[in-house]
Amino acid sequence: MMYFQGNRSIRIVLIFLASFWLQSNSWAQDYYRTAEGTIHFKSDAPLELIEASSKELRGIINPKDNTFAFVLKIRTFEGFNSPLQREHFNENYLESRKYPEATFSGRIIEGVDLSQPGKYTIRAKGKLNIHGVEQERIIKSEVVSSDGHLGLTSSFTVLLEEHNISIPKIVYQKIAEEIQVEIRATLLK
Amino acid sequence: MRALFFILSFCFLLPASRGQSPFFVEHPLGEIHREVKVSLVYEASNGFLWFGSNHGLFRYDGQQYQQYLAPDSLTNNVVTAIFEDKGHRLWVGYEDGRIFHLERAGQLRLWEPEEGLPAARISGFGQSADGVIWMATYGEGVYYFDGRRMYNIGTEDGLLGKDVYVMVMDEDGRAWVGTDGGISICSGKDGEKNVQNITRTNGLPDEIVRVILPDDKGNFWIGTYDKGICYYDTQKQAFSQIQEDWAYGAVSSLELFQGVELWIGTEGEGLFRFALPTRQLAPIEFEGLSGAKIYSLHADCEGNIWIVNNNKPVYAANRQFEFIEGAIRNIQAVLAGHNGQLWVGCQDGLYVYDEQKRSFSLYKKENVISLYESPEGAIWVGTFGNGLFCIDPVSGRELHLTEADGLSNGSILDIDGSGPYIWLATLGGVTEFICDKGIFEEGDVQVRRFDENSGLGTNFIYTVFLDSRGRTWFGTDGEGLSYIDNDKIESFTEADSIPLRAIYSIAEDNHGHIWFSSGRDGVFEWDGEHFQHLSVKEGIRDMAITSLASDSKGNILIVHPSGIDILDPETKHIIYYDDEIGLQNVEPNLNAVCHGKNGVIWIGAQNRLIKYTALNEQLCIHPRTSINSVAVFLEPIDFLQRTSFSYSENNLVFEYVGLWYTAPSKVRYRYMLEGFDLDWIYSRDRQANYSNLPPGSYTFKLAATENETFDDEPLQTYSFTVKAPYWRQSWFILLCVALGGAGSFWFIRQRDKRLEREATLKREKIESQFEALKSQINPHFLFNSFNTLITIIEENPEMAVEFVEKLSDFYRSILQYREMEVISLHEEIELVRNYAFLLKKRFGDNLSLTVNNGKEQAFIPPLTLQILVENAVKHNIISKSRPLNIEICTNEGYITVRNNLQKKIAMELSTGFGLQSIVNRYALLIDRPIHIEEGEAYFSVSIPIIKNGKE
Repeated sequence: MMYFQGNRSIRIVLIFLASFWLQSNSWAQDYYRTAEGTIHFKSDAPLELIEASSKELRGIINPKDNTFAFVLKIRTFEGFNSPLQREHFNENYLESRKYPEATFSGRIIEGVDLSQPGKYTIRAKGKLNIHGVEQERIIKSEVVSSDGHLGLTSSFTVLLEEHNISIPKIVYQKIAEEIQVEIRATLLK
Repeated sequence: MRALFFILSFCFLLPASRGQSPFFVEHPLGEIHREVKVSLVYEASNGFLWFGSNHGLFRYDGQQYQQYLAPDSLTNNVVTAIFEDKGHRLWVGYEDGRIFHLERAGQLRLWEPEEGLPAARISGFGQSADGVIWMATYGEGVYYFDGRRMYNIGTEDGLLGKDVYVMVMDEDGRAWVGTDGGISICSGKDGEKNVQNITRTNGLPDEIVRVILPDDKGNFWIGTYDKGICYYDTQKQAFSQIQEDWAYGAVSSLELFQGVELWIGTEGEGLFRFALPTRQLAPIEFEGLSGAKIYSLHADCEGNIWIVNNNKPVYAANRQFEFIEGAIRNIQAVLAGHNGQLWVGCQDGLYVYDEQKRSFSLYKKENVISLYESPEGAIWVGTFGNGLFCIDPVSGRELHLTEADGLSNGSILDIDGSGPYIWLATLGGVTEFICDKGIFEEGDVQVRRFDENSGLGTNFIYTVFLDSRGRTWFGTDGEGLSYIDNDKIESFTEADSIPLRAIYSIAEDNHGHIWFSSGRDGVFEWDGEHFQHLSVKEGIRDMAITSLASDSKGNILIVHPSGIDILDPETKHIIYYDDEIGLQNVEPNLNAVCHGKNGVIWIGAQNRLIKYTALNEQLCIHPRTSINSVAVFLEPIDFLQRTSFSYSENNLVFEYVGLWYTAPSKVRYRYMLEGFDLDWIYSRDRQANYSNLPPGSYTFKLAATENETFDDEPLQTYSFTVKAPYWRQSWFILLCVALGGAGSFWFIRQRDKRLEREATLKREKIESQFEALKSQINPHFLFNSFNTLITIIEENPEMAVEFVEKLSDFYRSILQYREMEVISLHEEIELVRNYAFLLKKRFGDNLSLTVNNGKEQAFIPPLTLQILVENAVKHNIISKSRPLNIEICTNEGYITVRNNLQKKIAMELSTGFGLQSIVNRYALLIDRPIHIEEGEAYFSVSIPIIKNGKE
């Protein structure tokens, strides 16, 4: 746990999630939790296209008050153009030893009832924490709710600068300043 | 159709009845928009008024409404917020939370931020100094967009409520947000948000804040749901209510005339005004707005207030002019007393008007023609024929002074004064009272008189005016303008080369210049040294001027039967006010004008009082003129980007407008297409058409005026070029010249070549003929032929005859063919046979010639074969043991002369010309080469056959 000392909110989310996984099912009945969660990012720089994805996106949504929390282990990203690139991604840019997780937690702006079947466009307002830097964000998502499960898709951008991810000048043309992220998740009650 | 609509709109500018109120004019949307409910008015920086409605966005230019509908059928088109950012981009917010931008070409385009659009009604926009756009919603709190990211401020961030009624920006770029829980003051940078709240615990009278309006001091007027209006002083952080027990329901909108009054719209109780200097609240007495829901108020830059309401969608009124009508007639003098009383002198008596009660009461039955209040509060009442009354309105004391008391005359046309000095203009000269302790303190009053005997030209004095330098000015009847300075009388009977006769009214501007009006000659300005005359040419509308007055901004009001002109003394710009704001049938009386408090000027007309208030805002004095669209062959273009057209895009239509909401129908235009028009074109149309513009550079210049004088109106220009067609452009002409030059050069070269070839051919031919002739007349040939003849003439006379015949045929053929370019192969072979016959008679069987000729039609230069045969005979040994065999055969387009090679050891003298001549001639005639082969045992020359004579 030594890595999380600097960041309280990550810790809270983690504890929250950890406790959630451990709790009995009856407690968890009210919540939607991820059965499947993939996240895919793309850096489309002039000289190189870098893509990676992870199937390890975890999250819960509380349909009562429309709050949510999502977490992702940075090291689970796979893909990349080479193993060396993956290493650079983890060691140099995201510093996943120091900041092993990215989190996003907050509240859905719309007062929709996600337990009602239907298709919703929602905007999730919360704190996005990547690389240990927290940013207030609104992320637009499409949610399809049907009988006890939610299908969630979303795409948004992450600006490296906003999260203090510094790129050495020399590889500047290989990594885009704006990373496109896509999320696809299925959540079950 | 458009014109019809235009006319119809005018018919709908209906006058409405009035109490003490400005003159309200309806601005109907027109019959086709009958169902439209307008809820919002917004003035853009270019002067256009934008209206939000349940049927889209409307732009109004004073005459026509232009509707803008969102292109997306998913949008319900209920516009709930309009805002122009610092980059002049229009933001339009809708009830469903969507936000559109208005593109320059007039299309609404959906704004699509990554974060998505709100799903709740957009209730307001704002922009802070750093450019961040703020959006308020009714349901989702406040958003701000920094150009990259959009952030939300909701209740979890400390906002007092998610339902935002109103949002305004303060000078520090903070958003003041009115909610159901009070006021939240929000600021934000990136994701760092700051929310400060003002609630009832801070003294806010009602937590439901519907309207917030900043004033020029950085403080705020706040309209609440239940407790009316309060003023929030940001320095003291203190609230003050304008009325403790507010009984008019929810406040729905506010608008401010700085330092003058606050307009208050309510939700169902009509419209109110709160006078700032007197702190009086009064309803607007106008039937059209009684009990109305006021949705939106806006004061435009001309001093008009726009009222969006549920009775009739849109009303407007000019705030500068108000009207009071009552039971009084023929107002001859007005006086605003220092205690707020308004004295009105009429033909049938002196009335007092109570501004709060809005009623006139008769004070005294006299024919009152002039009024003045002296510093101690005495009212001086000048009558027509019955002398002067001095009234103390507090004690009711009254003095009646007549000619017997030293008055010069009983008809007192005007009174003016300064401190203890009070001057009366009468029909018998001028009387000056000097009363140090007031007129009621007897003993201290001195009276002086000036008349025609003292230096005034006449005893009939219309007006007296005391200027800021202690001079007393007189307007006389027929003898011009006079003034007394240190008891010395000066008179002007001519100004700016115009004789001065009756002077009716005098005023002074902020620079100490004296302004006066004459009976029929308009207005004059005297700057202390020079006169300047202003007349119809300078824009004075009506020469029958009855009064002049200077307002608190230094402008000169010119009152005449056609209305009121307001003149800026520095620019001489004149604004007309007349029937469109309620100033019809003014019928003012001479000098029935006075100054009141707070920038008010009262003007007495035939049967009503006009109250003019100088507004503190910097008002527009010109129409806001803009070119709205440029169309090429009726297709609108983005004319800010495109200024260059091809030669065929030479049909242009300019649409423009000069916005003058005070009197839209008075706007006139003049335009000129520099480079095409020689002079200005004057028009009231709002478009200009140009067709068939020749290529060139043009500048479209446009000015609009509301007062018929264009000289000082700002110009709008649009420069463009129509390009010459490519065939008239220099590069093309140069190219053509170059191509033409190259072409003729090539042609000349070809011709030269041809001529040269022809010449060579001719020379070759002549040379070959010469050579042939020379060789034929070779004496050896003749000698040999004759020797041959001698031997056979006796043995065989018949053969001899044949020989001579052949010889003569041969020579005839040479002569016959030499002129010709080519002859048929057949003819040539015939010639060679003749030649061979002659040779055979000499050489016998030692020479053999075999001709193997195809039947084809072919041509050959004359004597070619003959020369080759001759060459063979010439260069080879011919003997019994070594006979010479010459073969002529045709083969694949060639004719070959071939002989067995047995060269003479001693060469006969030869020029070598024969063969060379053939080669040269052939090179000119035909592409195919001549093949000359010299083997061990044979020599052959192959000559290409010419298939037709023309090749």
